[in-house]
Amino acid sequence: MATSETVDRSPALRRVESIPADATVRHVDQLEPSTLTWFLEAIEAGPTAALEAADLEDGDVIVFTACYRIDRS
Amino acid sequence: MTEYVIIGDGISGSSAAETLREEDPDSDITVITDEGESLYNRILIKEHAKGKLPEAPISIHDEDWYDERDIDLSLNTHVTTIDPDEKTVHVHQDENISYDKLLIATGGTPTQLPVPNSDAAGVHHFWTFQDARKIKESAESADDAVVVGAGLLGIDFAAVCGAQGVSGKYLMRGDRWWRYALSADGAEIMHDGMRDVGVEPVFDSGVDRFETDDNGQVTAAVDPNGERYECDFAGVAIGLTFNTEFLYETDLEMENGIVVDEYMETNLEDVYAAGDITRFYDVLLGEQAQNGSWGSAKEQGRVAAINMAADERSEEFQWVSSYSITHFDFPFLSFGHPTLGDDHAERRYSDTEWRRVAFKDGKIVGGVLIGDLSPQSTFKQLMREQREVADQADVLLEQSVDIDKLAPAQEQ
Ligand SMILES: Cc1cc2nc3c(=O)[nH]c(=O)nc-3n(C[C@H](O)[C@H](O)[C@H](O)COP(=O)(O)OP(=O)(O)OC[C@H]3O[C@@H](n4cnc5c(N)ncnc54)[C@H](O)[C@@H]3O)c2cc1C
Repeated sequence: MATSETVDRSPALRRVESIPADATVRHVDQLEPSTLTWFLEAIEAGPTAALEAADLEDGDVIVFTACYRIDRS
Repeated sequence: MTEYVIIGDGISGSSAAETLREEDPDSDITVITDEGESLYNRILIKEHAKGKLPEAPISIHDEDWYDERDIDLSLNTHVTTIDPDEKTVHVHQDENISYDKLLIATGGTPTQLPVPNSDAAGVHHFWTFQDARKIKESAESADDAVVVGAGLLGIDFAAVCGAQGVSGKYLMRGDRWWRYALSADGAEIMHDGMRDVGVEPVFDSGVDRFETDDNGQVTAAVDPNGERYECDFAGVAIGLTFNTEFLYETDLEMENGIVVDEYMETNLEDVYAAGDITRFYDVLLGEQAQNGSWGSAKEQGRVAAINMAADERSEEFQWVSSYSITHFDFPFLSFGHPTLGDDHAERRYSDTEWRRVAFKDGKIVGGVLIGDLSPQSTFKQLMREQREVADQADVLLEQSVDIDKLAPAQEQ
């Protein structure tokens, strides 16, 4: 998988430039309300709540103004 | 054993099938769709057309998903009529399928422009995965394109142009994009976003006719002012026509969509509807409303299924929808019903930040956020609580919204 060097302020979100064919991909409008709030806060200011609060799996890709991969490592 | 039939395998129909299986494990469930593929992610097909996403992640359910849940899926099967007295669904292969409870989740089809050559090769509409594949193919070999339809779906065509390096002309009827929800200030940010990706908005325009070559391929759009815009393809997104033609011989109540209550029940016994096709009773708005968004369609399917299986009015649909545009450097989110209401407040914060909040009877009923989405959860919470806050719009328009600055709900 090609990932960019960009590491976001959030350790749980990594910006990716391309999406592999076997990834689970979700558009931001598919996120549950609490997950959407977590995601938007994480993009802006780093995660303010534990990632466990959001129903996202390691490796999931979220399509927003860029693509972000959930990185639990 | 109850026999459930669901017409439509979009997100509303599919979410209903999943919920029905959970709620009524011993039932018979049949899902009928006229598409050739099972549920896929309709809101990601634009990313495929942009060339950013391969096909595989767009599929949501393969056929095994239905087998594992003992759901009978009929692909490529078009429902032609229903008979609510006999409780049967008639499909184009001349077969009748009987039901105890029926869910209609048939969504809509993009409306064709009523102008000459609107069905020419290269004039695209955008609804199915197949549409996306064809748009991608056209865009990959195009230099110039024309986009028509100044709303949430039209802008996806503009984004495809931008991502595929096609020079686009976005022909709009009025003086701005999505004029029902955005003022000139808000729209200007979106216009700048379009220009940044190589798509030029053209105002007070539209399409009077398309021109074609000898092979019937579109070559240009001519607007009502006589301006001619050459194009290798055109994207048309002027609205949806709801898929209700198979219901015309019934007494189903329709009003540009199927009328349902907050339980997703129609006026016909044991017939429910869900998704884009409904005109539903919105308990937060206090009136009938429509919504064309993924989250709302999914939730309507779930709520319909709960009520179908319970055989009573068990759960009402109460939802604040979201619809995002993610094509530009700045985010955009529309929530609730931003075009409804009796009052609104808005403010521009910077070249990429703008906010509008729409009110009805003093309560928030929707809004649009551009650039800074941070207040979205607060605004949605206020909507759900039905707080009267219109007289405190200054608090809602502060860059950082502090809900504690609002007068406590009980004092209002
Ligand atoms: C390009 C595009 C981008 C979008 N972007 C977003 C977005 O960013 N965010 C968002 O929230 N929403 C977005 N939407 C809207 C969202 O996709 C829809 O609101 C949602 O998918 C509606 O789901 P549905 O199940 O109600 O209808 P549909 O998904 O339309 O499903 C209806 C199904 O019924 C089938 N059908 C119709 N008539 C018959 C018949 N007579 N017999 C058998 N089958 C029939 C149809 O073929 C279809 O498969 C977008 C839509 C499109 C097209």
